[in-house]
Amino acid sequence: MKTCQLTVYRGPCAILSDLNIDIPQGKWTSIIGPNGAGKSSLLQAMAGLLKWDGSITIDKVHLSAFTPKDLAKKIAWLDQGSSNSEEFDDFFSVYDTVMLGRIPHQGWLHLPSDADHISVESALQQTDAWHLRHRPLQQLSGGERQRVLLARMLAVDSDILLMDEPLANLDPPHQSDFLKWQGDLLTQGKTLVTVLHEIHFALRADHLVMLSKGKLHFQGSNQDPRTHQALIELFDGRIRLEKLGDDWVALPK
Amino acid sequence: MQKNYFLGKLFALLILSAALVLMGTLLGSMGASWNLSETDQTVLFDIRLPRSLGAYLAGALLGLAGGIAQSLFRNPLADPYLLGSASGALLGVGGILCFAYLGNSWLEIIGLNGGAFLGALFGVMASLLLAGGYRSSLRLLLSGVVISVILGAANSLFTFIRPDLFQSIQSFMLGNTTLLNWPGVEIMAIALLICLLISVIISPVLDALSLGENTARTLGLPLDQLRLILIGILALATGCAVAQTGLVAFVGLAAPHLVRKFSGGRQRVQLLFSSLGGGILLLSSDLIARTLFAPIEIPVGVVTAVLGGLYLLILLRRTSLGVRS
Amino acid sequence: MLYRYLAIGFALFLLGLSLGIFAAPVSVTDDRGVSVVFDKPPQRVVSLLPSLTESVCALGKCSTLVGIDRFSNWPKSIQGLPKLGGIGDINIERIVQLKPDVVLLEKASPVIARLNGLGIKTFALDVKSMNDEERALQKLDAVLGSSESTRVWNQIQQEIMRASKQLSSREKNTSVYFEVNPAPFAAGSTSFIGEILSRLNLVNIIPKSLGPFPKINPEFVVQAKPDVILLAESTVADIQKRPGWSSIPAVSDNRICVFTGEQNDVLVRPGPRMGEAALIISQCIQEKMSSSQ
Repeated sequence: MKTCQLTVYRGPCAILSDLNIDIPQGKWTSIIGPNGAGKSSLLQAMAGLLKWDGSITIDKVHLSAFTPKDLAKKIAWLDQGSSNSEEFDDFFSVYDTVMLGRIPHQGWLHLPSDADHISVESALQQTDAWHLRHRPLQQLSGGERQRVLLARMLAVDSDILLMDEPLANLDPPHQSDFLKWQGDLLTQGKTLVTVLHEIHFALRADHLVMLSKGKLHFQGSNQDPRTHQALIELFDGRIRLEKLGDDWVALPK
Repeated sequence: MQKNYFLGKLFALLILSAALVLMGTLLGSMGASWNLSETDQTVLFDIRLPRSLGAYLAGALLGLAGGIAQSLFRNPLADPYLLGSASGALLGVGGILCFAYLGNSWLEIIGLNGGAFLGALFGVMASLLLAGGYRSSLRLLLSGVVISVILGAANSLFTFIRPDLFQSIQSFMLGNTTLLNWPGVEIMAIALLICLLISVIISPVLDALSLGENTARTLGLPLDQLRLILIGILALATGCAVAQTGLVAFVGLAAPHLVRKFSGGRQRVQLLFSSLGGGILLLSSDLIARTLFAPIEIPVGVVTAVLGGLYLLILLRRTSLGVRS
Repeated sequence: MLYRYLAIGFALFLLGLSLGIFAAPVSVTDDRGVSVVFDKPPQRVVSLLPSLTESVCALGKCSTLVGIDRFSNWPKSIQGLPKLGGIGDINIERIVQLKPDVVLLEKASPVIARLNGLGIKTFALDVKSMNDEERALQKLDAVLGSSESTRVWNQIQQEIMRASKQLSSREKNTSVYFEVNPAPFAAGSTSFIGEILSRLNLVNIIPKSLGPFPKINPEFVVQAKPDVILLAESTVADIQKRPGWSSIPAVSDNRICVFTGEQNDVLVRPGPRMGEAALIISQCIQEKMSSSQ
């Protein structure tokens, strides 16, 4: 995926401008930056949810050239894990929730086909939520819920997965589960783009995109030696990076 | 496994509906009369059967509209009247009554029923126009409230100018099943069929919306068009029901709640069951209204309000006392 | 002998012929402008308006009534008849079960279309003024096959005349305010009540321009200071409480006519008892005006 001269609008304001970003295929890219840098907006623009000027292309095909349905099959979206506890959807089951991910593949009558059932089952098995499939969504804990929503995203069977702060509401054990599943997805050849504010997670990604004040600060792989320096600059030199085992951790100065 | 449960529940609801319609032909102004030969059979099939069927169909239309309103606005207190359809219908009826003396042939053709229907549609359209189309649920709801208030004020002014029409408008406001006839039943049956069919087909958009607006959009659904269609169905269903029976309270609000436990969450089932539930609710209320103090009839709107209110009270108590995870 | 038989036979023939003529279908236009055809005078009549019930009985056809509305209560002989509802809750089913030949109701009744759809004849009459009642009586004559309307109407006129004579010249030209309900709705000059008042030579403080039953501003009454206040619904206690009303001489001197429930029924129905209404009003005026001498 690639953007060129991208300007993203939220309402009448240009939140981001003049972005030229390369998202490498089959790798994990994380978008990082201080608060208000426009990370979520960039992700939403890539999903086609916000107005933009410039060009966004997937495999050299313009985003606008896709029909909504084709785009939906190409890109899957995982929203910020909000505690969406409305008493409303009291009885919506896990299975049906994940089945919603198959909507882009279904005809106008939206009747589940055998392929749909297979996809849903595989998604639930992958996220270890198969045993929960008949439970109403409301009865699940935060971690279980996140798994189900992840399964919903997987059920779309898309190549590109866009995730907005997927680890934010999870406790550490579930975070490590999540990272494991991400790893599995990468080995399957999917392209992952996540917005993160946890720097130590972002540094695990293959590729980093750093945004600051609506502009691109730096993009590069995590092997690139300039990346760490750019990261420290991004936060105005108020952090220091320490290596802890295999990981890099960011600590306030 | 889930499929079987669904068919079973559907069947149960349909049988209950049929039983109620049957009871409707037996119960009349004489209280419960099991002696069909004594009463004039043809005539009572011309009165009781269309009235019972009509009450069921009107309830079904209102139940469907209520289900759509609650799912669309994700608000358990939504009812079909909230986009200005109620005050619009009142204004339509008042307008026809007011200008009836002109004897215009157009007015005769439209009649009170047509006036209510057109008024209801007008109210919803005005809300949509004011909100500038479906841009956000909140905006649309607010403009619905504004339109209701404005049209309500117009109605008050109207009854002030023409106090002699107040009685007629009043009886319309409470809801009235006594004037249902076969043509009305036919119109409602066709409307119900169309509305049910379309809403059941496009209902997955409502399921998708439960994941959040952003996620629903990324699933490739034409959200705006589908939501507009749903509002159109809401207006059509409410308008048809209101045109035949006046403003019956609570059916649209209570029916979706009554069936929510059965329907298992999927909107396709929820809307269908809301419709059937609404029909059962209104018909049962009509039967009670007819027989409780026979031969005096209570306005059916009073019974639905009492029944619906009681149920919501029970629901409220259960949620405050019940264990929530 | 033969001639006598022939004469009787011929007389009988003429009788039969004339009966045949009288039995010809009668077509009467009701107040909606609809021509309703009756093959023979209706034997089973339902009336959904008290004034129409009373008119039917005044024309001598009380026995034809098989069903009435909830508010019809005069004469006593009809009180046992099935009550078919008030204004908003007419019981269609019961009407149909009574198999009426005609249903008498007002023009604005919501059940007309439904009853017609079920094959029941409806005859609509709108009585708002005295002329309306005269016309209604005549039409009912035609419908019911009676010929009493002139007599009834003359009786009403005579009673009104008598009521007028009862008032001395001093009591005439008393200014009055007739309140129909506490909203307040008043009886204007163009209503039947207003017409009775003017026949009694009483001055109605409500000007003609306001129409038959206007809803007025109570302040208007305070300014107009009527000599006598007539209340159709007894809200005497409230009258004192209305702001400024205690300054009206009629209120402070208690020249307020309060009518009983039965008297109310006579006063607010534009039917054959309008003459009696005039008498009730003139009696009260006499009392109140003479007591304040």
